[in-house]
Amino acid sequence: MKRLLSIFLCICLLLSLSACGEQTLGAAQAKKLVIWHDKEDAVIAALEKYLTSATPDLEIVFEKKSSLTDSLKLVGNDPSAAPDMFIFAHDKIGVFAEMGILAPIKPLLEEDSLANYIPMTLDAATYKETLYQLPLYFETLLFMYNRRYMQKEEVPSTTDDLLTYMKNNTGRGRYGFVEQHSTAYYFAGWIHGFGGSIIDENGVPFPNAKAVKDALNYHSQFVALMPGETEYNTVNTLFLEGKADSTIGGPWMVSSARAAGIDLGIAPMPTVNATGKALAPYSGIQGIYVLNYAAKHKTEAVKKLLAALTDPAIGIDLAMASGCAPANSLCYDDERVAKDELVQSMKATAEIAVPMPNIPEMDVMWTVVGNLLTDVNMSGKDINESFDAALAQANQLIDAMK
Amino acid sequence: MTKNRIKEGIRLTALNIFFIVWCFIALIPILYAASVSLSGQNGLLSSEFSFIPKDFTLDNYKEVVFGENILTWFKNTFFLAVVTVSLSLLIAVPAAYCFSRRRFPGRKGILKCLVLLNSFPAILSMFAIYRLLRPMGLINHRLGLILVYTGTMAVFSLWNTKGYFDTIPTEIEEAAKIDGASDIQSVLMIVLPLAKPSIITTALQVLIYVWNEYIYATTFMTGENKYTLAAGLYSLQATEMRGSWPVFAAASITVSIPVLIIFFICQKYMTSGLTAGGVKE
Amino acid sequence: MKKHKRDVIISYGWSFPSLILIALMVVFPIFYTAYISLTNMNVYHWFDFAVVGLDNYFRALFVFDSGFLSALFATIVWTVVNMVLQLIIAFVLVSLLNIQKLKLRKIYKTLLMFPWAMPGYVSILLWKTGMFNTQFGLLNQWMKKLGYEAVRWLSNDISAFICCTVVNLWLALPFMIMIMDGAMQSIDRSYYESAILDGADWLKRTRYITIPAIAPIISPAVIITVFTTFKQFDVVYLLTQQAGAKTGSGFHTILTYTYENAFITNNYGYSSAISIIIFILLLVLSARYQMKEGDR
Repeated sequence: MKRLLSIFLCICLLLSLSACGEQTLGAAQAKKLVIWHDKEDAVIAALEKYLTSATPDLEIVFEKKSSLTDSLKLVGNDPSAAPDMFIFAHDKIGVFAEMGILAPIKPLLEEDSLANYIPMTLDAATYKETLYQLPLYFETLLFMYNRRYMQKEEVPSTTDDLLTYMKNNTGRGRYGFVEQHSTAYYFAGWIHGFGGSIIDENGVPFPNAKAVKDALNYHSQFVALMPGETEYNTVNTLFLEGKADSTIGGPWMVSSARAAGIDLGIAPMPTVNATGKALAPYSGIQGIYVLNYAAKHKTEAVKKLLAALTDPAIGIDLAMASGCAPANSLCYDDERVAKDELVQSMKATAEIAVPMPNIPEMDVMWTVVGNLLTDVNMSGKDINESFDAALAQANQLIDAMK
Repeated sequence: MTKNRIKEGIRLTALNIFFIVWCFIALIPILYAASVSLSGQNGLLSSEFSFIPKDFTLDNYKEVVFGENILTWFKNTFFLAVVTVSLSLLIAVPAAYCFSRRRFPGRKGILKCLVLLNSFPAILSMFAIYRLLRPMGLINHRLGLILVYTGTMAVFSLWNTKGYFDTIPTEIEEAAKIDGASDIQSVLMIVLPLAKPSIITTALQVLIYVWNEYIYATTFMTGENKYTLAAGLYSLQATEMRGSWPVFAAASITVSIPVLIIFFICQKYMTSGLTAGGVKE
Repeated sequence: MKKHKRDVIISYGWSFPSLILIALMVVFPIFYTAYISLTNMNVYHWFDFAVVGLDNYFRALFVFDSGFLSALFATIVWTVVNMVLQLIIAFVLVSLLNIQKLKLRKIYKTLLMFPWAMPGYVSILLWKTGMFNTQFGLLNQWMKKLGYEAVRWLSNDISAFICCTVVNLWLALPFMIMIMDGAMQSIDRSYYESAILDGADWLKRTRYITIPAIAPIISPAVIITVFTTFKQFDVVYLLTQQAGAKTGSGFHTILTYTYENAFITNNYGYSSAISIIIFILLLVLSARYQMKEGDR
């Protein structure tokens, strides 16, 4: 036993020594970039393929990390465990920027290389006037319908039309329209349609209380005609099985809908009758972040990689590979991209879509709004009381962040 | 005599029926997964379910075994499991024996503290353990996971084996000592064989913990080729849920089979030697 | 005296590897959390945090409002209900499994272990979507076949509690069965033989032989299970409270409650203070329990 212990201690000692050994970067080290991600294989395959030809002298390693944000909070600035860069949606920018692990992107880019980017994507990736993420592509929710059941002339242009359609087509296990009705990400579109928002740029929750309450009130008529379940799988499957005529869903649903043999139509978001504004969903900008250590010690490699990623060619590749809407507007000049219905409708929705807030305070709002929605929609509680409780919870949680 | 036998036969049949029904009910969710994993359609959420798969196919299993990295993950998990279980037993048994048989200052206090340690909600422990392992260079290293797993299960292993040792009468060892056996000999030759059930239950519990743990495995290990089965399955579920339910179900079942086989084999050794005429108190 | 000293050293020497690992992996995190609870480590001071004293504790008291108290109460009920059911069901099953003429025992035991062999989150996912889902769940498919309305199993407090209990039992029973089975295997058969000769029936044998014999063996495992049940997070969170898939149930255990009201803030100092307070609360509860045990 004692021998085992001494072996064990020796191993620990050796390992800690070897960990301290690497301080200066060798030439090969400086050209190796580790990128964490949690994306679909198709996206990464397209990136890998493009980068091997665009940056042949760099060694780029994509590592899939399913608990990416939690892991980054742990490893943060630590070069022995952290990646050099990572690909993630823009909504975590505030958290990581405040933590101090992100490098500003602009100094790493050639001048003017962002000139052709869709402004919405750059705005979304900017936190406290600094750009922290190089946008690659963006996603928004889309109004999708099954052409077999919903005819072109039936596609609702207003929410009242939608409600009428639902009333006429819901029942006996069929639904006129389904969405993840009690989930903050989906309900945000309704709040925006009523002129409100979940949180403003200064971190004040529900700046327009009336809009949120109106949205809740009006939306509850729709909830009554939808299944009592708000999670992704249920909604998704109902639509894919042809049991729901229409839905609001992300671009990731398109390939499964096509695989399921759905004759898929994509339409603009209906407008809210009371305000004349369209349901404006959140948009998420997927892009690449650079960590401080890499920006400082592997500057050349990082610059090269970022330069390669600003080329419209990769945007076109990604759009073709998995229907992403590229952040670089030059990509849309490509003929194939111009013909892609999905990419084009996403670009159209992007005109009205609201980028997810990227301030750290937003992190707690997902839960707060989720609670508010389940209280109102699923537990049938009073809107005013639930709203007051949610506001109190939001303020308490935001206070508790500091 | 015959009447008794008939009565007993009826009782046994009733008992068997009871267990068959119980097992069936208990396994409904798993049968469900099995049926989905064997069917060609993407049907975990299909509205018309039957326990007999539609379009019977083994494709999903084929995809699991050849398509994903399951074999690598299996190797990783197997290695971790074997080392963690051995290490756990190696450190728990001597400690448990000391705490059961010897009296020394601090013994009671430590035992009491060990129970109370369970009160800590370990949700935030990850951070501390990271801080601990990082300077040793054990992040993204198997040894790190082994230490975490062994340490987390050590309280249970120590306690569980100690509890069982307490119930083994000391007379046998004393007799052996009179015959000239050393401490170590008497533990190895007498106590351990008698404590088989508890050793095996402890080992199984550690094994299953390692087999199913995914939080540390996904956070501390980077890269799909270093994942364990549970971590790999978790990443499949988290990112590729978009459409491969049957594959996921097949993977879940595949992951469980080795544990069941091990359990089945272990049952033979679960009976203590004590029944074979040990010392009666 | 000298021999005694040597004995002590030997005892600690043999226990050292075990104790040191426990110290590193279990005790150290507690102290570390206690230390962090005194700092202002949060998103804005992630690496440059400083000790701020008891601030976090004062603020943490706000979390311990009526919502927390009802969650605490629910957690106690949850623990008691789960433990009682778990012990009774496991005991009955194991007793039946140990009836000597049962030939297929091994198969049954292996099948009963199945839930244990799957990673917990997989099982919970299976239950949630496969069984309880209002649209596609097996339960509602059966309800429909029997001509009843579809039920929203997880959306009301009481039925959510029951569903969580069922899933928790399903996950926990295999372990309890195995521990009890191991314990029962160790009982000397001759006790039963002489008891039968004395004319003791099954109840009496259970009361006077089985329970006293297995109690000391299973008690460590049972005590540990009580703690895990009390601290249960996955079952309740994943079934009913997961962000983006909430079901409308108000059933919270103290951990799911504090998760939603503190841990999601990314404020480690604050969350740590809450963890420490829960730790002390549980210590007090279990110390009381232990004192009662000692009285007996």
